[in-house]
Amino acid sequence: NMENLQQTSRNLLVCDQSSLRHRKCRLSQQVQQHHFNHQVSLLLPECGSAPPPLDAALRSFSSSYLLRKLPLHELLDTHFLQDAVYQGSVYGLSYRSRIDEDTCVALLPSGQLVLSLDKDVYERLGVEGKPSRFNQRANSRYVVTVNLTDSSMAPGGRGYQRLLTGLKSRVQLQTDFLLSHHPGGGEALKALLSRYDWTEHRPQVSSRLLTNLPCPTPLTSDLPSCDPHSFLEWLGAVEAEVSCDNESTSFLSTLVCPEPRAVLSRALRVRVSGLLLPQDVYRLIEELRRCWDGRGTASWAALTVQGFADSPVSWGSREHGFLKGGENFYSLLLCSDHSYWLCMGTGAHDGCPP
Amino acid sequence: MSVFMDLNLRPTAERSTLQSLLDTAAHLGYSAVAINYVFEPTSKKKQEIPKPTPTSELFDKLPTVQGRSRPIRVLNRLTIVASDASHFRPSAPEFRSFDLLAIHPTSEKLFHAACMTFDVDIICVTVTEKLPFFFKRAPVSGAVERGLVFELCYVPAIRDSTTRRYTIANAVCLLESCKGRNVILSSGAEKPLELRGPYDIANLGLLFGLSEGDAKEAVSSTCRSAVLHGVHTLQVSADTRAPASCCQKPGRPPAAPSTPRDCAQAPPTRPAQTPPTSRKSPIPGQRLQTNLQPREPDPPPQ
Repeated sequence: NMENLQQTSRNLLVCDQSSLRHRKCRLSQQVQQHHFNHQVSLLLPECGSAPPPLDAALRSFSSSYLLRKLPLHELLDTHFLQDAVYQGSVYGLSYRSRIDEDTCVALLPSGQLVLSLDKDVYERLGVEGKPSRFNQRANSRYVVTVNLTDSSMAPGGRGYQRLLTGLKSRVQLQTDFLLSHHPGGGEALKALLSRYDWTEHRPQVSSRLLTNLPCPTPLTSDLPSCDPHSFLEWLGAVEAEVSCDNESTSFLSTLVCPEPRAVLSRALRVRVSGLLLPQDVYRLIEELRRCWDGRGTASWAALTVQGFADSPVSWGSREHGFLKGGENFYSLLLCSDHSYWLCMGTGAHDGCPP
Repeated sequence: MSVFMDLNLRPTAERSTLQSLLDTAAHLGYSAVAINYVFEPTSKKKQEIPKPTPTSELFDKLPTVQGRSRPIRVLNRLTIVASDASHFRPSAPEFRSFDLLAIHPTSEKLFHAACMTFDVDIICVTVTEKLPFFFKRAPVSGAVERGLVFELCYVPAIRDSTTRRYTIANAVCLLESCKGRNVILSSGAEKPLELRGPYDIANLGLLFGLSEGDAKEAVSSTCRSAVLHGVHTLQVSADTRAPASCCQKPGRPPAAPSTPRDCAQAPPTRPAQTPPTSRKSPIPGQRLQTNLQPREPDPPPQ
């Protein structure tokens, strides 16, 4: 049993190498399927400030709305369904709920409502669901998924009534809820915003100039000088501002920059955080690509998108859980020749990224 | 998984220490704790079974659990340390005022009896010295089948390196017989500095030989089933009334204000909770603060 101590929790890393010019490039689907994005972090080498179009793209992420103490049966409200769920894409996530302790709820743009419930709540709700994939011995967590756009869930239908009764009278679930809508924004959500306490959250943008940054070189995607794991370790160290010097006097970090390496005199790290829509993330990637169509200053850029640790889903409707960590993220290394390296990572209680 | 619990907080004479112990437990993310009253009967003189102090007298205010909107729940537990059943009556009615009943057997005979027949919820495993007996599969499986749990305390391992060795050795020994099932990890803490966060204790479980999933259960779901077992036993014993000779009114005296029902059954409304600390931070690893690194709660997004 002692050998187990040397192992860390299981995690999955899926790496994809392709080009934006390639006909069958799947980047768009992979980005769009990652519904709930908490933070986008962009690393631009040899850059003091973001070029204006890129800066504009970073500052134009859609706002999200935080509703306080929203009773969950309101997500079945007919006006809300008409304005938000049936039109465009709605993104909703329960706020400050823990996927391994509490009830968590997600509303996907496909119209699916995902409820991650513990056993007591599930049994009292009375709607059919499946045990969580990550249950240990006894079934302590259940996932109920209903498609609100399906004909069986049309208002007045049997499925609809059953869920509504369950949420209204049998369990009265209530939670703070983060909501966003594309392309309607706040307008599409006014059915709920008008009746509950809400605040608007504009995504926060922050930037930091890093100097004398060791960096693996050359960073191209067709001849990677280092393997994905080492690259991600280095990128993670840069993002977390952990030193890669591995000085003998320091006991905090033994991380090193992969060889061969060069030192960048400066690099810009820009971060956006909030409930970020995948459409906005993809728009940012397109803008990055356009930056190279004109001039070729830097040869690469790295974009890391972090998901929510407590979201019930990671990519698509794949179940997401939290054992020791709730990571579900992807890192994109975009090169000036439009080729890229995409690394998607998830944790122990997760399915495989697409 | 269910909420995190620490079922062994040791009260000292100082009320303020107990209050800060509770505050720290809530801050670390434990949603329920049990105040453990220890009773060591000897054959020499007749001792009184301690009565639990009502929660409202012990604590000015029940703190809110970090990141949630509910206050921490406090249960009462009695631990009997004995080597012989003749030192106490296993189904004394005084036991009913506690939510949880634990026994710490120091002899093989009592261990066997406790596993197979006693009306207890938790069986404590010695961690401060060499095991007085070996764990045999039969009583351990019997206990597991009856829904009893085995408890391992971690605070002695923090206090001293010799007890740390005994803790690990005894834990490994236990886990060989029970295969990781029905084990809870609790503190046994008397001071706030001795408490550790639930994820850290789940990691400690790995040292004892638990798998990752089992170790996390040992601080959450298994504790919950021990509490439910306690509630069930109380309900059953309320029906089978004590004989009149023990000078108690038939039926249960009212439980201490921390009603076990409250903890055992899910409340009808389950608000997913709110206050400031930003849990959406995707940085893996440190989800909840440990004692040593206070983290400022992130300001709520503008």
